[in-house]
Amino acid sequence: MNKLIEENLLAVLKREGLEPKPGDLEQFSEIIDLYMENLKQLHSVNLGAEELAPVFRPEWTGK
Amino acid sequence: MAVAEKPLYYLSIHEAQQLIKDRKLSPVELTQAVLDRIAAVDGKLHAYINLMADSAMQEARTAEMEIAKGNWRGPMHGIPIAVKDQLDVAGAPARIRQFTEGVGDATAVRKLRDAGAVMLGKLHMSSLPDADLPAPRNPWNTEHITGGSSTGSGAAVAGGLCLGSLGEDTAGSIRNPSAFCGLAGLKGTYGRVSRHGLAPLSWSLDHCGPIARVVEDLAHMLNAIAGHDPQDPTSSNVPVVDYTTALRENVKGMAVGVPRAYIDECAPRTDAIVLKRVDEAIDQLRSLGARVEDVKVPTLHLATIANAVIYYNEFWAAHKSAAGEVLKTGAPQRRARIYLGLLTGSADYIQAQRIRSRCRSELAEVFQRVDCLALPNQAGPAPRMKDVGPIDTLFKHVVPEYHGPFNLTGLPTLSVPCGFSENNLPIALQIVGKPFDELTVLRAGYTYQQHMRWYEHRPEI
Repeated sequence: MNKLIEENLLAVLKREGLEPKPGDLEQFSEIIDLYMENLKQLHSVNLGAEELAPVFRPEWTGK
Repeated sequence: MAVAEKPLYYLSIHEAQQLIKDRKLSPVELTQAVLDRIAAVDGKLHAYINLMADSAMQEARTAEMEIAKGNWRGPMHGIPIAVKDQLDVAGAPARIRQFTEGVGDATAVRKLRDAGAVMLGKLHMSSLPDADLPAPRNPWNTEHITGGSSTGSGAAVAGGLCLGSLGEDTAGSIRNPSAFCGLAGLKGTYGRVSRHGLAPLSWSLDHCGPIARVVEDLAHMLNAIAGHDPQDPTSSNVPVVDYTTALRENVKGMAVGVPRAYIDECAPRTDAIVLKRVDEAIDQLRSLGARVEDVKVPTLHLATIANAVIYYNEFWAAHKSAAGEVLKTGAPQRRARIYLGLLTGSADYIQAQRIRSRCRSELAEVFQRVDCLALPNQAGPAPRMKDVGPIDTLFKHVVPEYHGPFNLTGLPTLSVPCGFSENNLPIALQIVGKPFDELTVLRAGYTYQQHMRWYEHRPEI
């Protein structure tokens, strides 16, 4: 696994009070690297300032 | 093969309901035939993890008595069905939950019961914590996988171990086993079917829907389970229609869009036989009167990774309080989702939601010109079990493929068989519709199905 990604993962696991299962980092290194690489693609498109994620609406539409 | 020559366990729901309605077939006789079939072949297929034979026979006897008294409830009355473990069933909570509470009967299960269906039991699914349970086998070739994660649903319906099943689809889990096992499967519009009682993977991507042998059966099952549910705030108030009105052979004038650039993007990872069979199917739709045109959805190439980011983050959030236990005792796919969710930043999650918004806008524009989309439903025929590792599905979820984009955008999507590979494994076409326009995808699929009649082929187990 990419060293920076591994250090990051271990840090967030520690922050959450979690430990990886022994052997997991080796077993999952390929998918983790591929995921992180493709994650960069997500930001490759210019959506402009006005393309919003789902919008908050204040009206009460509840049950 | 004519209906009369068919074993009872291979009747479609559509055939069986007519015979039951006309009192030519008893729900008891039908349920017993399916239970006998389970006894005969589930030792090879491993579809069931909780067979509820006694209660099923009791339900069948009740259905028989009601129908004898003239109280036929509708097409699902007396029909033996089974559900993916992920859905709660009273008395048989979802094993997949591990650390969350069940609700009794999931709403979709309760609605099927209200419609008179006979509940045979719970079916295997990917990522169960019980690692010693054997994985389901594909009835078309038991050396091959069924596709997941509704693995047991694929094996059970294709093998004649139930007439229909409920599955769940977050990134293809209804459509994948449907395609690999030669079945019809429907992921309705997000919100069309309640998620209440469904063990969550990703709240905004999870879809509950039917898997059956023919498109007619999907319409009958959807009629029973669709509709608003006060217990699921994401279920929709859009009026439910009678989905059997889609069952007419007519695509004349229907505009079918083919996202050719996106298929080309996925083509390097797609077997040539799949592309060939899907092109043949699209040609058939054209020959039946549909108008076929290529369409462009510029941001669709980012939809799969956006779907994965939302999936893993919502999975992480849903399981945060029990994450320590998941990492100790959960299946590999579930542990991997926790790590991937942890590695994703808030800006990534928000960007994924923005991509979702952009894809919806682009598809809305495309659907101004077309009635549905047609594209492949799988990268290849079902692979051999020995060639598939425990987290291989995750590799499919992070590079452009055919399923995730329609979980991301919540559109209704049908899987319908469109032929076989050289080694006799099923291949499927995927048909995608406008929000809440299940009628059009069912009509397109039904017309194609009736013309090609792939459902007449059955596996030898």
